[in-house]
Amino acid sequence: MATLELKGVKKSFGAVNVIHDMTLEVRDGELIVFVGPSGCGKSTMLRMIAGLETLTQGQISIGGKRVDHLPPTDRGIAMVFQSYALYPHKDVRGNLGFALKHAGVDKKEIEERVNNASEILGLSDLMTRKPRELSGGQRQRVAIGRAIVREPDVFLFDEPLSNLDAALRVHMRVEILKLHQRLGNTMVYVTHDQVEAMTLADRIVVFKDGQVEQVGTPLELYRKPANKFVAGFIGSPAMNFVNANAVDSAVMVAGTKLCSSKSAAGEVTLGVRPEHLILTEDGPFSGVVSVFEHLGGEAFLHMTLPDGQLLVAKLDGENSFSTGQPCSLGIRPEHCHVFNKEGYRIAE
Amino acid sequence: MRTLAKSGTEQTHRTPVRWYILVFLAPATLIYTVFAIYPIIESLRLSLYQAGDGQGIFVGIANYAKLFGEPLWADQFWNAFKNNVLLFVMHMLIQNPIALALAALLSIPNLKGAAAYRTIFFLPTLLSVVVVGFIWQLILSPLWGISPAFMNWLGVGSFFKPWLGLESSALITITLISIWQYVGIPLMLFYAALLNVPEETIEAARIDGLNGWWIFWKVKLPLILPTLGLVGILTYIGNFTASFDLIYSIQGGLAGPDYSTDVMGTFLFRTFFGFQAQLGDVYMGATVASALFFIILVGVGLYLFGVQRRLQRYDS
Amino acid sequence: MLIKERLSNAGIHTVLIAYSLLALFPLALILINSFKSRKAIFREPMGLPIGDSFSGKGYASVLSNSDFPLYFSNSLTVTCVSLVLILLLGAMAAHALSEYRFPGDTFIGIYLVLGIMVPIRLGTVALLELIVNLGLANTLTALILVYTAQGLPIAIFIFTEFLRSVSREIKDSARIDGLSEYRIFFEVVIPLVRPVIATVAVFSMIPIWNDLWFPLILSPGEETRTVTLGVQQFIGQYTVNWGAVLASLSVAIVPVLVMYIIFSKQLIRGITAGAVKG
Repeated sequence: MATLELKGVKKSFGAVNVIHDMTLEVRDGELIVFVGPSGCGKSTMLRMIAGLETLTQGQISIGGKRVDHLPPTDRGIAMVFQSYALYPHKDVRGNLGFALKHAGVDKKEIEERVNNASEILGLSDLMTRKPRELSGGQRQRVAIGRAIVREPDVFLFDEPLSNLDAALRVHMRVEILKLHQRLGNTMVYVTHDQVEAMTLADRIVVFKDGQVEQVGTPLELYRKPANKFVAGFIGSPAMNFVNANAVDSAVMVAGTKLCSSKSAAGEVTLGVRPEHLILTEDGPFSGVVSVFEHLGGEAFLHMTLPDGQLLVAKLDGENSFSTGQPCSLGIRPEHCHVFNKEGYRIAE
Repeated sequence: MRTLAKSGTEQTHRTPVRWYILVFLAPATLIYTVFAIYPIIESLRLSLYQAGDGQGIFVGIANYAKLFGEPLWADQFWNAFKNNVLLFVMHMLIQNPIALALAALLSIPNLKGAAAYRTIFFLPTLLSVVVVGFIWQLILSPLWGISPAFMNWLGVGSFFKPWLGLESSALITITLISIWQYVGIPLMLFYAALLNVPEETIEAARIDGLNGWWIFWKVKLPLILPTLGLVGILTYIGNFTASFDLIYSIQGGLAGPDYSTDVMGTFLFRTFFGFQAQLGDVYMGATVASALFFIILVGVGLYLFGVQRRLQRYDS
Repeated sequence: MLIKERLSNAGIHTVLIAYSLLALFPLALILINSFKSRKAIFREPMGLPIGDSFSGKGYASVLSNSDFPLYFSNSLTVTCVSLVLILLLGAMAAHALSEYRFPGDTFIGIYLVLGIMVPIRLGTVALLELIVNLGLANTLTALILVYTAQGLPIAIFIFTEFLRSVSREIKDSARIDGLSEYRIFFEVVIPLVRPVIATVAVFSMIPIWNDLWFPLILSPGEETRTVTLGVQQFIGQYTVNWGAVLASLSVAIVPVLVMYIIFSKQLIRGITAGAVKG
């Protein structure tokens, strides 16, 4: 059990800054998710915590102890990799016990811990199999088991579910959540999938181009995204952005006031989540249906506004529209997100 | 090498020198440098010297002037060069098409016995040229070979000729023996490349209405062009160096009859070690080797900057 | 449609079988005749060694009356030691090149594979001088060092290409497990490269076992003669003792053959695993 502290961490490869300046405190027992598009630096940050990459500047502490000068194995961490990284020439038992055996842990204790981990993960029947004889999900379980066996202070997950198919991914996601509840360890989880981030995280760190865009609980990020990037990244389908005008703290689209914002002025961007758009009789968004996607319980309406901007609305599955049909959508004031020209959120 | 060891500190802060990189690289680099690169460079240097008392005397390009200027040397050089070029052209025109055709047949999906064919086709490649040379002498010799009897039995005995012994046919016979032995190498390379052509691409072509022959011609062949280039350059290098073994073991150092099968390798061997009346000459040997080095360099340069680059662009 | 397909199938096999016969016939000729008496060889070169034409004399004279066992052990020593060095040092260098970034890495990478394009034979003149100066003339050590230098470029090339395609994560995982960089190489990387070891081994072994050039030049002495050189001299010496010549040829073929049959499955897998992409 331990806290994890990053202080002014910077990383550059030659002239390229990969992590600009990262400071973060992860509380004991917290599951924190690093999320962002590929190449945003989230994996590099995780690898620095693990000790697989060196820091260019800054400090990393685990449990109050500074670790950035220590080799990976002495940091009290365990890591689960996207490609599972199992030793192909060792069976499941060998893989699970390898780190302990190497560290010279007593044989009986190794056995105990390996058995314990295999029970937690339901691997007991597979102990003599080689990795190539396992399915993807089983391999991932072994990889997680290998981490558990080490009884680390901090678990690190590097996109652990990306190589699994969709159904299995949902299943393993729940498993990891249960595991966190059961073990109560501090965990850092890297993913590019915002659904994983939303469902797993106590807190989410959104990365972009080596910089932290926002840190907060999933709902904070959903309700009050700090900028357009976070707003567009969190939530599915992605938030709609519409050009708007602010006059006397009133945010207007096509001459209609949608919400009020004291600090807004001039050209602004209005962010509207598809699930918050509602069907209306007369605007303020009026246009024609370009595509109507029916998913059964729900439906996505793609609408083209007169000035060519696109809007996606998530509607109830009862509705039905055909291409070219005129339609009209509206929104409640509390669901409006207003961003300034630079893309930052404007306070209400 | 020193910069290599020091480098660790530059890239990362607070990390010790990464000695293990040196440990991993040093043994291979050392052996390779001392026994492969140094001798080649030293040979290039020696080609600029001539025998003197004890140490060699620097003579600039005099040895090259001799090699290309004096008829005794120039005739031999150009004869060997011409034979090498012929050897190369014949391998390109005969060996590689055969290899490609066999590889294409072998790569047909679900072909029965593909593994057995593959093993058999590669067998001759495994053999020592000494063995191969003897086998074919045993077959082709007019005195103790089996061909005369065999051809009599077939009723075409009057067509038999001592092919290896005739100036007109010795080189082509050697070429065919060499092809018989080495067809396995390009075959394997082509085969591996053909197996790497994605199944989807072929299925897409089939849906587009192409049949087997056209799929090979229009889809597979363009995709394995880089391998064709690779086989080309390997054939080139092999012909200028490895051809020595076969010719030496069948025809001897004089590459008879009357030098009709002389190649750069046998020429270099004779120059270096001497033969009959002529004494061996280290410096002229180095000069011939260096000339050969430049010939290969030209080929490799053409390949790297011309062929390969264009093929890769096409590939991508 | 079906008939047409069958016909083309038969055509394909006809071509492949025809070429198989062409490849096998000379080999069979040697093996068959190596078991026959001299008379039988000339009377009926195509006949099988049965009945009174069978004779083990050739093998007997090769194995007893000559230095053949010595040549054989020389060849085996040179080939095996060179092979181990090529595989080990090649894999080590390839691991360093594929795993670590350091100044000059690209340069060293190119330098080490230059030898694929520039045959080491071109340096023979200076190489002989070097070997003599080192006091290694007429030793097996000379051959081993030269063959190792000759085999390293292609081995490094194939291993590097392969290791680059292997996920880095497994090595990182071993680092987290606390392995030193050396142990990562021996315990993780070596098992990982196993699929291409066969490819590298076969490609390195054939030219070593069969080489005539370097034994002829660097160690032609009676004591250090290899099988290939031995057979070559043997043929010149005993042109009368056909049985013995043919038997010695057969003996020279066997080790490569065995090695190839053992590795042939892995060989193709290794080649197609992306090791040789051109």
